[in-house]
Order: sequence, then structure tokens, then C-alpha cells
Amino acid sequence: MSGAKYDAIIVGAGHNGLTAGCYLAKAGLKTLIVEKNDWIGGAAVSRSLHDGWTYSNCSYVCSLLRREIVRDLELPRFGLQVIPYEGGATFTRDNDYFAYMSDHNALLREIARHSPRDVDSYARFSQTVMRQCRFIRPFLLRGAPDPTSLHPRDLGELAFLVKKAHGLGAKELGETIRFWTMSIGDFLDEHFESDLIKAHLAGSGIIGTGLGVYSPGTAYVLLHHYMGDVDGAIGAWGFARGGMGAISKALGMAFEEAGGEIRKGSGIDSFRIRDGKVVGVALENGDTYDAPIVASNMDVKRTFLQHVDPVEVPDDFTRAVERFKIRGSSAKLNIALDGMPEFPAAPKGAPFLRGDLHCSTSLAELERGYDDWKDGKWSAEPYFDMLIPSQIDPTMAPPGKHMMTVFVQYAPYDLDVDGTRSGRNWNATTRAALADCVYDKMEQAMPDIRQRIVHAEVRTPLDIENEVGLTEGNIFQGELTFDQLLFNRPVPGYSDYTTPIEGLFMVGSSSHPGGGVMAAPGANAAREILRRAGKGREMPRFAA
Amino acid sequence: MSDSFDVIVIGAGHNGLTAATVLARKGKRVCVVEKTAQPGGMARMVDYAQGARGPEIAHLLYNLSPAVAKDTGLTVDARRLPTIALSPDGRHAELRGDSLRHADGEAHPDAAAYAELRARLVRFAGLLGQMSDAPPPSLAEGLANLASLRDLGGLAKLGLNLKRLGKEDMREFLRIVLSNAYDLLLDDLSDGPVAGALAADAVRGAFSGPRAPGSVFTLMYRMGQGGESAWPMGGFGAFEKAAADAGAVLRCGTGVASVSVEDDRVRGVTLEDGTELRARAVLSSLGAATTMRLAGPAHFDIEATRRLRKMRAKGTAAKLNLVLSEAPDMPGLSDAQKAGRLIVAPSATYVESAFNPVKYGRVSDAPVIEAVLPSLTDPSLCRDGRQVLSAIVSYVPFDPEGGWTEEARADLARKVIGTLETYMPGLSGRVTGQTLLTPDDIAASTGAPGGHWHHGELSIDQVLTVRPVNGMSRYAFGIGGYYLCGASAHPGGDITGSPGRNAARRLLEEGIPS
Repeated sequence: MSGAKYDAIIVGAGHNGLTAGCYLAKAGLKTLIVEKNDWIGGAAVSRSLHDGWTYSNCSYVCSLLRREIVRDLELPRFGLQVIPYEGGATFTRDNDYFAYMSDHNALLREIARHSPRDVDSYARFSQTVMRQCRFIRPFLLRGAPDPTSLHPRDLGELAFLVKKAHGLGAKELGETIRFWTMSIGDFLDEHFESDLIKAHLAGSGIIGTGLGVYSPGTAYVLLHHYMGDVDGAIGAWGFARGGMGAISKALGMAFEEAGGEIRKGSGIDSFRIRDGKVVGVALENGDTYDAPIVASNMDVKRTFLQHVDPVEVPDDFTRAVERFKIRGSSAKLNIALDGMPEFPAAPKGAPFLRGDLHCSTSLAELERGYDDWKDGKWSAEPYFDMLIPSQIDPTMAPPGKHMMTVFVQYAPYDLDVDGTRSGRNWNATTRAALADCVYDKMEQAMPDIRQRIVHAEVRTPLDIENEVGLTEGNIFQGELTFDQLLFNRPVPGYSDYTTPIEGLFMVGSSSHPGGGVMAAPGANAAREILRRAGKGREMPRFAA
Repeated sequence: MSDSFDVIVIGAGHNGLTAATVLARKGKRVCVVEKTAQPGGMARMVDYAQGARGPEIAHLLYNLSPAVAKDTGLTVDARRLPTIALSPDGRHAELRGDSLRHADGEAHPDAAAYAELRARLVRFAGLLGQMSDAPPPSLAEGLANLASLRDLGGLAKLGLNLKRLGKEDMREFLRIVLSNAYDLLLDDLSDGPVAGALAADAVRGAFSGPRAPGSVFTLMYRMGQGGESAWPMGGFGAFEKAAADAGAVLRCGTGVASVSVEDDRVRGVTLEDGTELRARAVLSSLGAATTMRLAGPAHFDIEATRRLRKMRAKGTAAKLNLVLSEAPDMPGLSDAQKAGRLIVAPSATYVESAFNPVKYGRVSDAPVIEAVLPSLTDPSLCRDGRQVLSAIVSYVPFDPEGGWTEEARADLARKVIGTLETYMPGLSGRVTGQTLLTPDDIAASTGAPGGHWHHGELSIDQVLTVRPVNGMSRYAFGIGGYYLCGASAHPGGDITGSPGRNAARRLLEEGIPS
């Protein structure tokens, strides 16, 4: 099938591609989404890889998804239900734990159990984090201003930023500057004395990044995990019923209801470009489609280094894309359990077991994990973010059985074996060794974990790259460091979702405001595309 | 019985002396009180052995602000030194300004990339350099008064200069200013001794590896005046001489026990021997937290005392000073190169790996070293053909696991000499005397918090408007007439004199209370 004409084509049916597709289709553009896999969703998928079990086998919890988008696209009508979970815990080697509870008084008692002093510190900590969340949230669904530009829109966005910043007052502005530039480790050291509490809170600052807990800028990454909400409960996290694929499914249905078309099973070979303008796409199966607007939901490296003829873009741009940092730093284990594992330290049926569980007990341990990664090795004592969603969502596993999702940090993409670093070093042996290392550490909390496992899927950064198409398996489509945020993301001068090629846009999380199942890049990009197509009025303006 | 002055400056380090000089030259009666017997602080010359003199701690000039020289009448005969990036395979590289070549004169494959990168960094660093000559912009007052308008004018000028760089440069500046040196360097250079030398420069003295975001800022910081390093002929005595010439009184040998405060105004200081000195203003070049404690925490709000105590200041640089019976052999280097700034950092990755252990209170087995033999440039330092070798060693913890025992100290010295011996065969046989200063020793002898030469980590969350802490960045220190004039104030450490000069000018602007 070749030559079919569309108003717009989106490459990649991840949640951002689908979100952008929804808005383009709703605005009346005849829109096609092409997807290389036989399923849609990118990294927001539910897959049945073992009989009777459903895995959210990439992204696994939901909070960042902008509620404005959920409401505007009426995703609940298409079956999306997000169920909040309660708390979480970090287990120690000596049969103790620190539990994070949603009940405020219970949480304070639990903090006091480890350090009475830290009870006061916690109030200060959460106040600061919440204040920073409130400051940043309005920016997520807006474009990032280009400070070098004198264009009225950029000046307008800059003015908005200045106004918001000025509204903080001098003291708060100073605090904001500090917070945005300091490390999560230093930030926590400044507040708390209990190593365990610090370790529990620090994880959010490093998840998905190639940085350590003492790397400046990680306090900001913390926000990426606190600024979300479930039904307006800021900072809350939840499970999408039926797994993360439920989000993609709802977005896909919304897209098709609006008249969009999805073609699965063949990825892009190249973006077709004539005289500096995009004219369509050519797929790997030989099909070609025409459209004056093409949007890539792939990351910026994959888009430009693999699917665009380099002669079509300026050398400077290619150079900037080459140096864009997308580093694989995490792996994933999806585990089918034949029953609920024992947590000898925890009270039976404790609600916090339904939340995120960890076994890293100090900042130094987390930092050492980062040192290993820099050397091309997975952390000898890995940090993991582990959940058993089937406790809350019984659709994920057969009755009485459970499904466990384990996000593992750090695991390098270019694994070092005998002094040679390469993605090709990931094979059955190294994959099994990584899983073993994780199980060893999990036994700290669940001594019987190995006996409970009936099936496990081990996903290395290489696997994530191969299946989802994320370069190096980086979950954010690019490091969330300042040189790659806001107007610097993905390339300075192109933070407005455009590219040097007319008609070609970026809609994925390589663009502002970055990764996480947020759908903000997709919605923001759609706004820019529609504005340029003279259909800006068709796009809702979300309240700031 | 008490003496009375217009201003008392606590600490005769180069910043204290600079502040005193600026004030004395404006006709103020100034007394500098120094705890130790000898002024100079970190910029102090000592006898390594009889007839062999050298710099005790800081050993090169590279960041002295011309504004400081102008306001103090400071004259320094500074000899520029080349930087030699030592390579374990003997293919050393020589860096002079924007030029890079192999030490044997052959072309270096990274020469063009290095020239472009360095020129770019120096251009950007110039912007930061400008900012170091004035207090950081205030966020507080907006358009409320004339003084804040002037600040905004300064900001506008910076913005204009940034714009004047051109769109491409401005974009690049905003991209890299908060990023990490490791990635920046390796985007353009191969990972060898040249990248290693630059990575080491980016983080020397810092509790940070080159992969940490913010290390480009510290790399630029040391290039604020062009980044060339130089040896001041005769040593670092110029600051002391300038202060004496200006008529400041120098009082060494007894430290300040407390600062007296009455009615929220400083009234003078009490020395450790009980002597009272009266003054209408007091400038402290000690660390920010010590400065607070001298006046008493009761005079500061709770938030400020908490923040001052938590200011991060963990020094990571130790000093090893050697007396050598004769100049060491350095195969592959000319005489001029031997007298240069010698860097042991074979790659940027080596620097990052060397940083790892210090995070856990251990010393790296493969230290990063900046060594210089000033007596090759300045023969007046040594008699009898001997030479002095001054080495700054990174990374060394302030409080190592197990403490600084004799054994730990001997072990560190052995590691450093062993590492240098790779490039200077036979070195250990020529060592006739050695002095090791750990960060702990440096803290004890200079009062620098954590032995940190910036008196506080120069990370983005502790610079400019939030240095030393949010709300106290403009030298005035909580109490009427009390000012911070040391490296924990903006812009930070190095032998710049800038915090001292800026603080003194701030006092003059605000007027010495009557």
C-alpha cells in the first residue's frame, strides 16, 4: 500500500505520539500513526508474556499524566482508571524497615521511630518540595521560551516565567535557584539525620538518570516524581487498571474515534524530504505515505541519526544531536509470582506493601551503585523500585497469584565485560547474572522470593532499546540535566518542537518538558503543529 | 585599655589584606588581626628547609582580578608558565594559551579542537569574570531604590554582553554553563592527558568529579581572567606589602576570640589574650559559619544560622611540599617545560575515578596532582642547587575513615611521590625534606572551613546570590557594621582578592557607622 495521502503522519504510537495524534485528528487533520511493533503504546504497554499474567513491562506506575489531558480527551470514557496506591517502604538488612504511609499521623510516628528529630525536618522537606511542585506545574503544558529569541511568543513565555519567578519573592527565588541546582543527597543531608529515611526519599532523584544521588541537579529530578497527581491528589501515584497499556489503549481509542488511523507492524525506514521540506514517510516494508506534516515520536537521536539523510540537515544540528546525552541507566524485571512473598519484617497485610518497595538503606550505598555504573557495570548493590500491583488490581494475575514489577538502577547500556564496553555484552549469561544480583538483594526483604518466581522477564537497556526504540533504553528519551532541559531540549533553538526540516516536528519526550508518562510533549507539540497549520484555535488552552 | 580603629579586619589572608588595603587607601584607620605569626593565609611563603623556600599552600596565580590590582596598588611580577599534561607513555602535551602541541614540538591531533574549545570557554568565562568584580545582583529590591536600580543596571549589562556574544554563543553558553566538564571535554577531545588536565582544573579543590553537573562553571571560574597560570616572582608577599604601604596596621600572633556587639552594631573585637580593640566596622575573612559564631548566633535569625552551619565545605586538596637535592629528571621535557605547571591526570575518566573514594572517606590510589617547581623559575628561593617541588594533591578527604594517623599520612606521601616518580624517575632518591598538609592541617593552620580553598563548595547552589547563604550574599553580615570578606563570600576562592575588595567597597558605599 503506497502513496496514500494524509494531512499528518506521526511516527511511533507511544503515549506522546497518540496524544499528539488525538489533538491533530480532533482538529480535523486526516492523521495516520505508524508503529513498528504489532501493538501500540511504546513504553506504556501491558503485555501478557506468561500465561495468565499481565505485565506493565516498561513504565509501571502513573502520576505524571497531565490531568488536563485526561479530562480533555475523556480518557476515562475509554476505560482508563487510575487507582492510587498507599505508601511504600525500604527494608533493611537487619529485619527492619522504614514505611512511607499516606496517613499523615502514621507517617510521623514511623519517622519518629527512626529519628524524632526528623519529624520536624519532614515538615520542612515536604513544604519545600510541594512549593517547588506548585512552581513548576504550570510550565509543563507551555512551551519553553527561547531566551535568545526576540519573537513576541518567546518574550511572552519569558515574561510569564519572570512573573511567576518574581511572584515568589526574593527569598523564595533564592531557595528555588538552590533547589534546582543542588543534589538530592545534599538536599536530604541538609534535612534529615536518618540514613534510612534519606535513602527512601532519594530514589526519586535518580530514577532513570545517569546521575548519582550526589550529582548536582538531582533534587530537580525528584520533582519529576512528585509533581504528578492522581485525580488531583498532588504527589500521589497510582496503577492504571489493566496495566500501563490501559493508558495507550484509551489514547488509541480516543484517536480512532476522532477519525485517526493507526498502522502497526512496520517501522519507519526514512523520512522523505524534498527541497528541505518533509513530504512523507517510507516504511521498512516498502510502503510510502505522503503528508505535509510529519511528527516523530522517536527520540531525537534515533530520528535524525537513523532515519533522516544527513545531507538534509545542517552539520551543526547533527553535531548537537550527536552530543545529546541519552544514557541507558536502568533495567527492568517483570516477575510472575505463584503467591504473595513473605515480608518477615512487616506486619502481615500492611497497607504500605501495596506501594513502592526498596532495599537501599543509605545514600552512600546509592552513590556506590552509581560509581559501578560509570565503570560500565551494573550496581553490585542495585537500587530498585519494586511494586506488586496485583494486590490492588486483580486483573494483572490469576487468582491468588501475583505480578511484580522491579525497576532496577543502575544498569549500563554499554556493559563492560573483560575491559570491553558494548551493548552487545548483554546476552543470556549477563542477563541472568543481573537478575541474580537483584534477587540476592530482594532477599533482604523477602527471603522466599526465589521460591515464589514462576516466570521472569529480564529487560536490559539493550532490550528496551530494541523493543521500544528508546536509544540506550533511556526511559526519558534523554538525560534530564539542565543542559538538556527547557530551551536546551532537545537542541538549543529547537525547543519549540520544530526541526531544521520544514514540516517535520518532534513530539516525544526528547522535547520539553521531558520524560515520564506525562503526555505533555505530545500535547505541546500538537499545539505548535496546529498553530503553524493555521488551526491554533482547535487546540484547548489548558489553565495555567 | 583598648585601641580604637575605623575598621578591624579579621584574618590576614590575601582577602583580608586586600580589604584592609582598599579601606586604608581611602584614609580609614584599619587594623588586621591575624591568629598565626605570619600573614598570608593560604598565599603564604614558608621555608621548606633552611635555604629552601616555597609556597606553603596556594602555589600559582591565575585568577587575580585587574580591578583588585587597581584598587590596592598591588604589583606582581608574574611569570606565565606553560601547562604540561603528563602522559604515562611519555607523550606529554604542552598547553600555552590556545595552543596545544606535544612536548617534543610535534603537532597534537586535538590541537584544533582544543583551541576552539578553550577560546569558547575563555570568552564565556570573561562574563563570569565581570560578575566577580561586584556583589551578586540582589533579588530583593526590584525597582525600589537607586542602589537596586544600579544592580539591575549591572544585570542588564551582563544580559547585553551575553546578547553581544551573538545568538549561537549565547545558546552555547546557556547550554553548557550548568553542565558537566567531562561531557563537554569529551564531546570535542579524545580522553587522554589533555582532557585529563582540563578535567582536573575543573574540579581541583572541589568535592566533585568532572562528571558532576556544575563542573563547567568551576572550569570557567578559573578562566575568568584568561586562565593562564603564573608564578609571582619572590612569592605571594605583594598583598602584605600593599597593605603595609597603604598604612594598615598588622597585628599577628593572636586570634580574635569574639566580636563585640551592642545594639545590633559591632563595636570591636576581643582577642584571645583578652585585649579589646574598638572599631566601628569589622570585616571577617574567616569562613561564614565561624564569622557567625564569633559574633554569637543569638544575633542571627534561626534560618540563617542553620544555613550557615550547613554550608558545604569539604576540602579535597592536600599539599605535599618537597625539598630536592637537585632538579629531578623529567624525560621528554625541555627546561622551560620542566618549570611549567605539571599535571598528573592521564584522562578525564582517571580524574572521575580518583574522586570516587573520597566520597567514602578514602584516598585514591591514583591521585590527581598539580606540581610545580617554582625554584626553576625563581632561583632566589633555594641555595646550593636544591629545588623545591610544590604539589597539590586531589582527592584527599578532610576526615578519612580512621582519621589522619601517622600511617595514613606516610601512606599518602608515598602514593604521591610514587605517582610523580612515573614522570620523574629517581625522584624519591632526591627528596631531602617533605611536608604534608592534609585538608585537616590546612583547616587548622588557616581556619578555612573543611580545609576547602573556596571556604565552601563552589557549586551552583552556593554561588552568586546564594553565597554563602540565601539572603546574605552582599557582604553585609546580619549585624550593623559586620561584613564577610573572605572566600565564602561572592565570588569565591582562589588568589583573586575579589571578595576582599568587593566587601571593602560595599562597606564604603554603605558608609562606616559612626
